[in-house]
Amino acid sequence: MMSLLVFREQVKNFYHRYDIYIIPVVKFLFALVTIVTINKEIGYDARLKSLPVILALSLLCAFTPSAVMVLVAALLVLIHIFFISPIISAIVLVFLMIIYFLYARFTPNLGYIILAIPILYYLKIPYTIPLLLGIISTPVAIVPTACGVLVYYVFQVINSAISVQVNKSVDDILQLYTNIIDSVIGNKQMVMSIVIFALMLIVVYYVRRMRVDYAFEIAIGAGALTSILGFLISDLILDKAEQILAMILGTIVSAFIVFIVQFFQLTLDYSGVEHVQFEDDVYYYYVKAIPKMTVTTPQMKVKHINVKNAVRGMSKFDNRHNNDHIDIDYDIDLDNDDDN
Amino acid sequence: MLNNDKIRLMTKLALYESKTGKEDIRLSKYYKPDYVRYQVIKSIISATIGYALILALIMLYKSEYLIKNAVKLDYKTIGLYLLGFYIIIVAIYGLSSIVIYSRKYDISRKKLGRYYKLLKRLEKMYGDETTDSKV
Repeated sequence: MMSLLVFREQVKNFYHRYDIYIIPVVKFLFALVTIVTINKEIGYDARLKSLPVILALSLLCAFTPSAVMVLVAALLVLIHIFFISPIISAIVLVFLMIIYFLYARFTPNLGYIILAIPILYYLKIPYTIPLLLGIISTPVAIVPTACGVLVYYVFQVINSAISVQVNKSVDDILQLYTNIIDSVIGNKQMVMSIVIFALMLIVVYYVRRMRVDYAFEIAIGAGALTSILGFLISDLILDKAEQILAMILGTIVSAFIVFIVQFFQLTLDYSGVEHVQFEDDVYYYYVKAIPKMTVTTPQMKVKHINVKNAVRGMSKFDNRHNNDHIDIDYDIDLDNDDDN
Repeated sequence: MLNNDKIRLMTKLALYESKTGKEDIRLSKYYKPDYVRYQVIKSIISATIGYALILALIMLYKSEYLIKNAVKLDYKTIGLYLLGFYIIIVAIYGLSSIVIYSRKYDISRKKLGRYYKLLKRLEKMYGDETTDSKV
């Protein structure tokens, strides 16, 4: 355990020192995964699948705020769908605009959740998001999670609709549209997933706030259990037994990822080294402000080996923390003496 | 000569200005009622657009039925229903934005107050420096 803690400190130190380089690299990788996944799942327009385009877009996302990544992903999806069917892309645009005007406009910081859930669905680990949000956020995050699930299922329906649709007369398109809406509304799996994700988020949130040791670890475990039980029930009800194994494995992997994130406390609102510039009458200042680190002490575990001796040794000192223990221990000793 | 206290103060101020301060300073240009009213109008507009889009989707979905029964439909009842839903949505969005944005304004005011206090201290430091140099 100790070596792990030391390793964590090293990682955090490294992150503190080089975060100016690490953050763009991480964002670049996220953007790359996002774009490649989109291209793989609904990549109809071959022009956008060429390597230079993918790299250029990822690079753009690496150095701009995270909202840009969401925008790039949305545009990419629209262009891909437009290539195969302009009408459906208009519907998707309206759908995304509804999400924006009724929800995303008010919480720009949570916009990436709506993007992350579909992407993680394709990577088979969507369970990461509710677990992680339970750890770092509040139950309000249920709304973007639900939006994300909705987006994923809408795209799945559209994807299957596109592969069927070839004709382009107005009647056909109307029929296609009705089919899409019907299958989104009638999608019980989507509703179940939204409910289970919300439950997971609430469970993780409340368990991690309990005043017990290892609250975070227990919370992740409880969330994973909720996910497995919930999706087990939903898969059995909906008669999709073939998904169960993937679901359980996905949940375990998700819980593991969240556990790692929690262990390194790499929460997303983490602020590292800051660079600021200002001037007065005499000088220009280029200041690098490094936050003081308050680490390890709260996590330090003192392991008592051979409690009695330690207590006797300490009883000479006025150690207020241990007073209770000392009294109790002496009582026990006296009892033992009486017995003898 | 470099004045360490001054640098520390200026760094703090510059950090604040470059991060949360940007928004706070922008907000401080409004009076509270003006700011809240402006935000409420914005969210009502966006709720209206969202509602209209949802309505358009539903109408398209039901278009076959609508066209078939275009003559027989009870437009008055439908209109009342739509208006009722619209009023409910606008009320929810309006009221919640009143609550959220007035809280946001108060919080940013508090932070800005601290910022001005530090600025004043910096100003005093400048004053001291200039009197020192005159002596």
